[in-house]
Amino acid sequence: MQDANQLSGDLEFQRGIGQQGSSPHEVPSLPVGQWLRKNLFSNWGNSLLTLLGSFLALLALRGVLNFVFSENREWDAVRTNLRALMTLSYPESQYIRVWVSLGFVAGLAGLSAGLWANWGGVSVKRLSTWLMGSGGLLAVCVIVREPSVILGSDGKVVRTVDGSPQRESFLDAMVDRSSWWIAAAVLLALGTLLWGRFTSPDRRGVEVSVTSVVFVSLGLALLSLWVAPYGHYAFISETKSYVAESGRTVAFSTKLPWTVMLALLCGFFYLGRILRRSDYAGIIKGASNLLWLISPLTLFWVVLRDPALDYGHVMSTDLPMGLAFGFLGGAVLWSLTRPGVGEAGRLVATMLLGFAIFNWVAAFFGWYPMLQKARISFLLLAIAALLAPNFIGEIAKRRQLVLSWLGVTALVHYLATMINTPSTVELQSSEFLGGLGLTLFVALIVVLLSFPLGVLLALGRTSKFPIFRMLSTSYIEVIRGVPLISVLIFFSVMVPLFLPDGMELAELAAVLTGYTLFSAAYLAENVRGGLQSITKGQYEAADAIGLTAAQRTGFIVLPQALTVSIPQLVGQVISTFKETSLLAIIGLFDFLRVANSVIPAQSEFLGVKREGILLVAMIYFFFNFTISKYSQRLERRVGLGER
Amino acid sequence: MSIDDATTVANDRLADREDMIVCVDVDKFYGDFQALKGVTATIKEGEVAVVCGPSGSGKSTWIRCINRLEVHQGGDIVVDGIELTNDLRNIEKIRSEVGMVFQQFNLFPHLTVLDNITLAPIWVRKKPRAEAEAMARSLLDRVGIPEQAEKFPGQLSGGQQQRVAIARSLAMEPRVMLFDEPTSALDPEMIKEVLDVMKELARSGITMMVVTHEMGFAREVADRIMFMEGGEIVEVGTPEHFFTNPTEDRTKLFLSQIL
Repeated sequence: MQDANQLSGDLEFQRGIGQQGSSPHEVPSLPVGQWLRKNLFSNWGNSLLTLLGSFLALLALRGVLNFVFSENREWDAVRTNLRALMTLSYPESQYIRVWVSLGFVAGLAGLSAGLWANWGGVSVKRLSTWLMGSGGLLAVCVIVREPSVILGSDGKVVRTVDGSPQRESFLDAMVDRSSWWIAAAVLLALGTLLWGRFTSPDRRGVEVSVTSVVFVSLGLALLSLWVAPYGHYAFISETKSYVAESGRTVAFSTKLPWTVMLALLCGFFYLGRILRRSDYAGIIKGASNLLWLISPLTLFWVVLRDPALDYGHVMSTDLPMGLAFGFLGGAVLWSLTRPGVGEAGRLVATMLLGFAIFNWVAAFFGWYPMLQKARISFLLLAIAALLAPNFIGEIAKRRQLVLSWLGVTALVHYLATMINTPSTVELQSSEFLGGLGLTLFVALIVVLLSFPLGVLLALGRTSKFPIFRMLSTSYIEVIRGVPLISVLIFFSVMVPLFLPDGMELAELAAVLTGYTLFSAAYLAENVRGGLQSITKGQYEAADAIGLTAAQRTGFIVLPQALTVSIPQLVGQVISTFKETSLLAIIGLFDFLRVANSVIPAQSEFLGVKREGILLVAMIYFFFNFTISKYSQRLERRVGLGER
Repeated sequence: MSIDDATTVANDRLADREDMIVCVDVDKFYGDFQALKGVTATIKEGEVAVVCGPSGSGKSTWIRCINRLEVHQGGDIVVDGIELTNDLRNIEKIRSEVGMVFQQFNLFPHLTVLDNITLAPIWVRKKPRAEAEAMARSLLDRVGIPEQAEKFPGQLSGGQQQRVAIARSLAMEPRVMLFDEPTSALDPEMIKEVLDVMKELARSGITMMVVTHEMGFAREVADRIMFMEGGEIVEVGTPEHFFTNPTEDRTKLFLSQIL
């Protein structure tokens, strides 16, 4: 990085900020014919490879299409089970809780996007290429798919003498698919029209914002729910039967909530855009980040789970305990930040840490009973006490620490109480939520919680204090030496055994803890890679202008290190998301397991697996591809300020 | 010539000034290699001291010891009356009083020029942002690149980057500026623009200690030139003495190679 700084020593070196997309040095595009000749048919060997490659691609496409549209596919199994795939057996009467949670996330996502996102634009020319490309692909699909089988008057497949199904002629098939042809033609025409209008040199830079492209596509998809006859499919749990009515639009209970979701997303997006320019932008950004950290846990354990609080217990135990930790701990922190507290402060903090760790050891051997919440609180207090020297000084600074402590205590005690209270939702399986909902929740929680932990571990591993270095290194190495499955099994089976009598930890909470600890170790290694790319000069410059170690880390080192590690971090996010399917092994019903074992076990769809798994794969791909694309944009954007 | 004579040779205008940097018998080891061998020198308030010498002579090491980017093992360093010890508060205090400009600029590439300059005033000096930005803009004006405030360091030329680095140091309103070969990484045509800024600074009366090979600069603005070799200060004198009448053979050899 530093060498690049040196090399860039000529005055010509000016890169335009804020004019990304319309590069002044754009290579003029070749006419289609010349482009083909130059890139695909430049010589005999090349032409042969091109033809062979296209042939193989077409063959693969044909295979997939024939699989999807085969008369043997029972897509009804997926259609009627969509709800099961999303949330498994979450009771229908309580379903509003799912929508409320989703709506909250949609609103928050919209707000954050409005506050932060700067996605820039996409040129109309590029858009037209996409339209033409998808139209062309659709046309190719319509042609290569084999002709459909002929259904007799009894609705059964007409078979030839040797038993193979009889198919219609190619021409008949093309006529039957006329609606597809029309769709392809519309796409192609639209693309060509835009292309023709926006290729002239003065208009080629015209852009539309990515946001409007996204919102318009989402809006069109939503509109299709209201007008397109996707069919009405549902499982009636009372009668154990299912409805499958093709030829009408989807159920009202599907399209209305989704409309609300999109409205929330868009509404909060524009709210975010407005607030971004207001004086309170900083505070609102901080609040939205905090909400991201808190809301998944709250939505899952409070909104979705609807705990039945025992108010007697709350009043006699939970509340007094929370207050005691909040205020007594606050008093301790207040005195630890007194100016001139000196070595005594460090001594108290170390003793607190020792006591907190001893509590866990004692729990392990069952020496004395103590509520888990108390153990966690003591540990948090010890960490706060260790941080206290950074807040020594004037009243405002000390108050900051004490107020943060009160907030953290309130939150931790509230969540711990809620997690340990039994649910009122009628369970039909071991966990009250399954399917895509569970998969997304676990992935989100693990990513959100393991990120700060991973950064801390990486800093610990590169710290100059041997004790931090040793602890972090051994933690990372131990975790990385163990397969994820064994971590998950350990936390779901073993950890509950270590808990003292009368203390319960929801299995999912235990598993989430294990998964987070696992993921953090890998994340730490990715962040460490970024940390090592920061040159010594950056540290020295930060020191020389008088920044403290914490400021140096927060303002100089971490922003650069995290930027460098974006590709690896995104890889980590994607693999965390995909590996949630291992939750099936410890008995949770994740997305894949619903398709793989729940649907095929239904009497109506006995053994029907392939359709569900194909859909699951497609949805996994959709999410991961989106994340990956977004990260590429992010890389390009943050890379701009560098070098 | 002994070290005791050093101050007597110094410019008269500094005679009654206070001591700003006092080094007594400073030793620095890298493993078995001794980089500084009993370096003793006093730099007065408002003085411009140029340190020169062949590469590997310990001049960069010495200047880096003064704001404790390197830790010395023997002797004492006192900056503005504060002794450099392992006490973190002393180090932070000295670092906020002493600005440093590096050979490699070491700007923060992820921050704009303006953010580079305002970071420390806002977070270390606790200035309000508006005030810090106003000062940053006036400093950019002073180093001659007011129009570059919103750009990132990577978009500037080397000379511009080094001037931003100077502005960044000045933003802390330091009493001492240390320059560690500030022009060595620059293309020849950009050296002048940086040296001009440094000359202007020198005339403004700030205490400066400059490690450089730019003898023209030394001749023009230095109050005193210190010649180092092998971790020792070999010769100290006014520019006039140093360039016209050096006493030590090693100095003569060095000058014959460089001039």
